[in-house]
Amino acid sequence: MMMANYSIYLHIPFCHHRCSYCDFNTYAGQEQRIPAYVEALCREINLAAQSSPNPLAIHTIFFGGGTPSLLPPEQLDKILTALRQGFTFQQDMEITLEANPGTLAPGYLETLHELGFNRLSLGMQSANPEDLALLERQHQYFEVIQSVKWARQAGFNNVNLDLIFGIPHQTMERWQATLGLALGLNPEHLSLYALTLEHGTPFQRWTERGLIPLADDDLAADMYEWASERLDTAGYCQYEISNWARRKTDGDIYACLHNLQYWRNQPYLGFGAGAHGSAAGYRTADVLGIQAYIAHCAGGSGKPFPTTPATITSTPIDRRTEMQETMMVGLRLTEEGVSARRFKQRFGESLAEVFGNEIAYLVGLGLLEWAGEDNETLRLTRRGRLLGNQVFMQFVGD
Amino acid sequence: MSDSIRNFCIIAHVDHGKSTLADRMLQMTGTISDREMTEQVLDTMDLEREKGVTIKASAVRMSYTAKNGRVYELNLIDTPGHVDFNYEVSRALLACEGALLVVDATQGIEAQTLANLYMALDADLVIVPVINKIDLISARPDEVAQDISSLLGTSPEKIIRISAKDGTNVDQVLESIVCDVPPPIGEDDAPLQALIFDSHYDAYKGVVAYLRVFAGSIHLSDTLRLMAAGVDLKPVEIGVFAPDMHPMEILTAGDVGYVATGLKTVSECRVGDTFTHAAQPAEAPLPGYRKVKPMVFAGVYPVEGEDYGNLKDALEKLQLNDASLVYSPETSQALNFGFRCGFLGLFHMEIIQERLEREYDLDIVVTAPSVEYEVLVRSGETLQISSPAKLPDEAEILEVREPWMKIQIISPTEYYGTIMDLATRRRGIFREQDFPAPNRVQLSFDIPLSEIIVDFFDELKSRTRGYASMDYQFAEYRRDDLVKLEVLVNGESVDALAAIVHRQDAYHKGQALVTKLKSIIPRQLFDVPIQASAAGRVISRATVKAVRKDVLAKCYGGDITRKKKLLEKQKRGKKRMKMVGSVEIPQEAFMAILRLEEE
Ligand SMILES: Nc1nc2c(ncn2[C@@H]2O[C@H](COP(=O)(O)OP(=O)(O)OP(=O)(O)O)[C@@H](O)[C@H]2O)c(=O)[nH]1
Ligand code: SF4
Ligand SMILES: [Mg+2]
Repeated sequence: MMMANYSIYLHIPFCHHRCSYCDFNTYAGQEQRIPAYVEALCREINLAAQSSPNPLAIHTIFFGGGTPSLLPPEQLDKILTALRQGFTFQQDMEITLEANPGTLAPGYLETLHELGFNRLSLGMQSANPEDLALLERQHQYFEVIQSVKWARQAGFNNVNLDLIFGIPHQTMERWQATLGLALGLNPEHLSLYALTLEHGTPFQRWTERGLIPLADDDLAADMYEWASERLDTAGYCQYEISNWARRKTDGDIYACLHNLQYWRNQPYLGFGAGAHGSAAGYRTADVLGIQAYIAHCAGGSGKPFPTTPATITSTPIDRRTEMQETMMVGLRLTEEGVSARRFKQRFGESLAEVFGNEIAYLVGLGLLEWAGEDNETLRLTRRGRLLGNQVFMQFVGD
Repeated sequence: MSDSIRNFCIIAHVDHGKSTLADRMLQMTGTISDREMTEQVLDTMDLEREKGVTIKASAVRMSYTAKNGRVYELNLIDTPGHVDFNYEVSRALLACEGALLVVDATQGIEAQTLANLYMALDADLVIVPVINKIDLISARPDEVAQDISSLLGTSPEKIIRISAKDGTNVDQVLESIVCDVPPPIGEDDAPLQALIFDSHYDAYKGVVAYLRVFAGSIHLSDTLRLMAAGVDLKPVEIGVFAPDMHPMEILTAGDVGYVATGLKTVSECRVGDTFTHAAQPAEAPLPGYRKVKPMVFAGVYPVEGEDYGNLKDALEKLQLNDASLVYSPETSQALNFGFRCGFLGLFHMEIIQERLEREYDLDIVVTAPSVEYEVLVRSGETLQISSPAKLPDEAEILEVREPWMKIQIISPTEYYGTIMDLATRRRGIFREQDFPAPNRVQLSFDIPLSEIIVDFFDELKSRTRGYASMDYQFAEYRRDDLVKLEVLVNGESVDALAAIVHRQDAYHKGQALVTKLKSIIPRQLFDVPIQASAAGRVISRATVKAVRKDVLAKCYGGDITRKKKLLEKQKRGKKRMKMVGSVEIPQEAFMAILRLEEE
């Protein structure tokens, strides 16, 4: 069963500069700490591997950030080696690296590919110089073109581009141009994110002070709908609220297997500062700061699985919560949705028994529908995709 | 020995430092040790402490050794300064022979200074003026002493200047109470007459009556009679406040204390009633108090229908401690089952609302406050209408009368113009002006109460940078050209949003209300049209467009817990809204009519 298949997330909290909208756990100007950080990371991996009851089989690894592409190949190699020692790698591993255009070079990408990386996720965000400037991104569009070209040459046949829409001052035409240019690069995968105002970011402060206009939700909705159609025409399949993938020759799609793990509410381990995990009935989170993380890992010894010395919170997930979370994340999958059959298999109770009222209410509102072969797939309607919160919130809380 | 008793209250304008002065006296007399001392000890309710405002009068007994070596029993009653709680002051006065009139040295004489002073003079009390807050740099004690002197005739030098905060000269205040306030007169062996001036409810001891013994004495074993109610009872406990309830065996003439009655309802033990002995009753009760009449009314509804019973219980309990709160069941098409409540004023209403929410943990919707109208209909009947939605059809109505108030505003003279402007915009009629002190003007108007409850005080404060203060009293009912402003949401008339306005204001208020509601009602899953109409004519319309986008763009492994919390929060917010038909309306919307001026 897939149940036993784990995923691993590694957090790399370094960036050259903090983008104006970003509230991720990342730090600028700390690059000198990379070697010590990687050492701590390897130690956390070892300790977790040792504490696990039996050798875990893993099928996806995701280096996220921050900017993982700031790590030199030897550091990435160390981490992968630690992982190989501690865990059993499955046959078809998906190993993703998040990268910022402008931090990549042809030789670097070749080495990555040789190390085993086979998926590259590029933070393109926009093709427009004004957008990029407002977002305080540290690259230009031509660097995206270069990065994709070099990635292809290095052998990557699974490349994702992240794009942002709903940027202040961004017009529909500008967004259309950005998406058009992205499609021109023929990526296997696209993530389109509506810009969200996060607490404590420069963006939020600028908005409060009236320096930039408030996002226009209706325009953002138009952009999303336009993009859905455009991508459909271009042969991309939407499989999650913000994610699209091209079809492979075998009929499957280039969906990100690692992220599917989250949305299917399957187990994963998180290593690195601020990384989260979900395994063996617990959700865990590691300490946030780089130095604190290094200190925790250096000082500590093994802890009961799935915690490590770097863990600062570990929350038991009871069955009810697990069911709620399964709905909240599963309904993000726009095609696959939540299968009534699999829900029953997993929890021993049927969807109708547990969430009958909520489902009936949301189907009545036209936000959820039953689909699939036996009509046993519960998923968002087309309209529901943009109103996901109205749906998800019915399944959380009490 | 009633000779060594002094009964006095502290009166002042709001925030001039009554409760702080009480603190110092409690400390200096050793009633409360320094260790037990907190700020404004007598403000025991959570809400009083949080807002820094006295809501309920409280009594406390202190034992004071004067400079002459004698020990005196001082009974202090701290009173609220806010105009809504005037009646608390009027009751307290009846239990006293003297009043400390506190005036803030930085603010000078304000509206409730005068209002409370006049009440105290009416009750024949000896007034001991004190000037407070002399520690502040902005204090103007000389000027304020002059002003008080011209009001009371006391020579300015004789007025005690204190800092209640740091205790300066508070000892002189204690001495002055002993020397200037007369001891109570009354015979211990006459038939018992004890006046109830306040009460609170105790779960174990029943209604606890605060009383002042005017004649005779009370023993724990006595059978007492409430003269107006005609109820006999054996006290559960008698005693004094020191400052907590402190049981005693006997209360004698001149004492201020309490009787725990064991009664379960306040209606049997009303403030203003007189206690006497069942065995040897007094000939007549003491003159009671004027009954307080609620001035503003609002609908109070549970957000969830199933909370109706809890809301009812909570109102019942609140009424036990607050006889000025009245309520009766009411139904609304929009809000279903709830209560129409009557309050002394907006501040009182706000306090009840907060207590229901916090002490009783209820989610409630409160509709915009309204006054009580008198409506003469064709049948010749006069209806009392306190809920705008209930105003009959125009064809039925012969005339509508509304309550008018007399209002006094005291302010530095420089704000004369802007106050005039404000009052006349609100249909006020100028009556007279007076200059109680140099640079201070007192302006008097007649004005409809309905105009005062709509943000009048906030507007006055902002126009005068906080310097103006006001007081008001009911004058009479007057007829005017008043119409019902109705609001339709999604095609349905929402009774709880209706208002009664002057015909001349209907048009612009209708427009402003629709604009305001459009900004308050969140976008729903469908378009929601909003309309205002008056006298059967649509005045204004707008549409809250359907929401199109409401989704978290990202949700990955690291976010799940945080995103879930966000969703839970959003869900709670949604739950707090009231479903009217199929539209979710936030609580704020029902108050929108009060906030039109901001647009
Ligand atoms: N500086 C200074 N502040 C004072 C003095 N007396 C009172 N205050 C402050 O004035 C504010 C109001 O004091 P209270 O004692 O609550 O006033 P109050 O008259 O009881 O107010 P209400 O009960 O609301 O009418 C508080 O912040 C006190 O700390 C004083 O002598 N000096
Ligand atoms: S590159 Fe990514 S992680 Fe780094 S600051 Fe920008 S948005 Fe944040
Ligand atoms: Mg007070």
